[in-house]
Amino acid sequence: MGDRIEIVGIGRTCAKERWTRGLVDLAVEAAGAALDDGGSVSPSAVIVSNALGGALGDQQNLGTFTASRMGLGKVEAHSVSSDEASGGAALRLASALVGAGMHEAVLVVGAEKTSDALPDELEGVRANGLDATREAGFGFGPAVASGLGMQRYQAEYGIDRNLFYHLASTAHLHGAKNPFAFLPWELSFDQYIHSPVVADPLTVCDLAPNCDGGAAVLIRKGSGRSSSLVNILGSSSVSVPTGISEPIASLSLPAAAQCATLALRDAELSLGDLSFLDLHDSSSFIAALSIEAVGLAKRGEALLLARDGHFRFDGPAPLWTFGGLKARGNAPGANGLYQVVEATLQLRGDAGKSQIDGADRALVQCLGSFGATAVAHVLG
Amino acid sequence: MHFARSWRQQAANLRLVGSQCTSCKKISFPERIRCTQCGSTELKDHRLSGRGTIFTVTRVFEAPRGFGSQVPYFAALVELEEGPIICAMLTDVDQKDASVGDKVTMVTRRIIAHGDDGPIIYAYKFTPELEG
Repeated sequence: MGDRIEIVGIGRTCAKERWTRGLVDLAVEAAGAALDDGGSVSPSAVIVSNALGGALGDQQNLGTFTASRMGLGKVEAHSVSSDEASGGAALRLASALVGAGMHEAVLVVGAEKTSDALPDELEGVRANGLDATREAGFGFGPAVASGLGMQRYQAEYGIDRNLFYHLASTAHLHGAKNPFAFLPWELSFDQYIHSPVVADPLTVCDLAPNCDGGAAVLIRKGSGRSSSLVNILGSSSVSVPTGISEPIASLSLPAAAQCATLALRDAELSLGDLSFLDLHDSSSFIAALSIEAVGLAKRGEALLLARDGHFRFDGPAPLWTFGGLKARGNAPGANGLYQVVEATLQLRGDAGKSQIDGADRALVQCLGSFGATAVAHVLG
Repeated sequence: MHFARSWRQQAANLRLVGSQCTSCKKISFPERIRCTQCGSTELKDHRLSGRGTIFTVTRVFEAPRGFGSQVPYFAALVELEEGPIICAMLTDVDQKDASVGDKVTMVTRRIIAHGDDGPIIYAYKFTPELEG
């Protein structure tokens, strides 16, 4: 990429059901933490990512309303919505504003408020992130799509359904150490196999839980001098033709694959240079395909590597070091920024019990619309 | 809002009308106003046969809003004989009869009712083809 972008401040809220906080409150809480962390750096623009708020009858034009509630005065402010890739998209667009010299520093905020909605209402609104007419309109939501995908993944690769446990258990193992996680406990095999079926064979434990949350990053143009700040070394975003049948039929996520390749190329790094990754794990099925898309596993082998501890803290390719969507929680419009905040903590050496020793390079990737949108950032 | 939307979707919902590009011959479902393969805007209506096979299928126990009264229902990807794969519920089927590779055919059924004052949407579901 061109001039590097520095991450000068980060903030996040607990990813839980925050009954006393509304959508704008969550954005303000996270944004305030990022500004406090950023010291004297003052943003002249605010970009807020959100996936569901408008459809759930909540605040629209979140950029302007968040800036207003922050007391930032006269700033440029916008909102970005790209389904569950919103957070990554917001950071990429904010980076472009900085890179183009339009702003010295930009505050990027992700927020989502899911707990005001009943589960079926929420799934209905999330379903419109798929094809609203031909998929959502016929009773297909993200969970149904992942259930269909799991069926096919099992059939194609001859894999025992219970092997999917190892993806969820890896995320929970890591999430158990994250005080900001929604489900900070380890997942036993017994819990997993007795979990209620949502869309056969997919169960509740194959799905990331919806939660409230906010995460924020304050960025500015890199000084060019070596510093202790974490930098955005590379980024990319790729969209491909939509439709749940594509990933299910091909058992692949071409947008995720190309996006990760381009982001690494932008950073002039390869997969082997990374200390850890955070990939999209809204369901066990999407998690498996995400792992295979970036090249961490061959096709059909993600679950086997997970079973063998490949993606644990002490494995060769640590994943979801703060619990991923599965354990930290799925706040759709904020996910991409949680990934960046958590990766920055790792790279600063401030990850506490979640710390990966010597972490110096990371790739984070979020996906929207069942993998049709991918956004990746390489940090270091 | 739902009235205009459902009116606009009638041809696809009730007669499986898609598009065929007059230039590259690609068949799409639902209708397109621009060919996704060659970019041509010369497309004509193309009614699909309504026959296909189950590509993959799941039984849904927790549904998005509006579909809860039909739980549990079978949701399938159906590969139409003309090529497109579409999302559809199966109907008039029990678990042992819904398997990958089964031949199915389109029927028109009630899909969803939008509240007490909104439209009731009828559209395609698929059912096992009768033997002989």
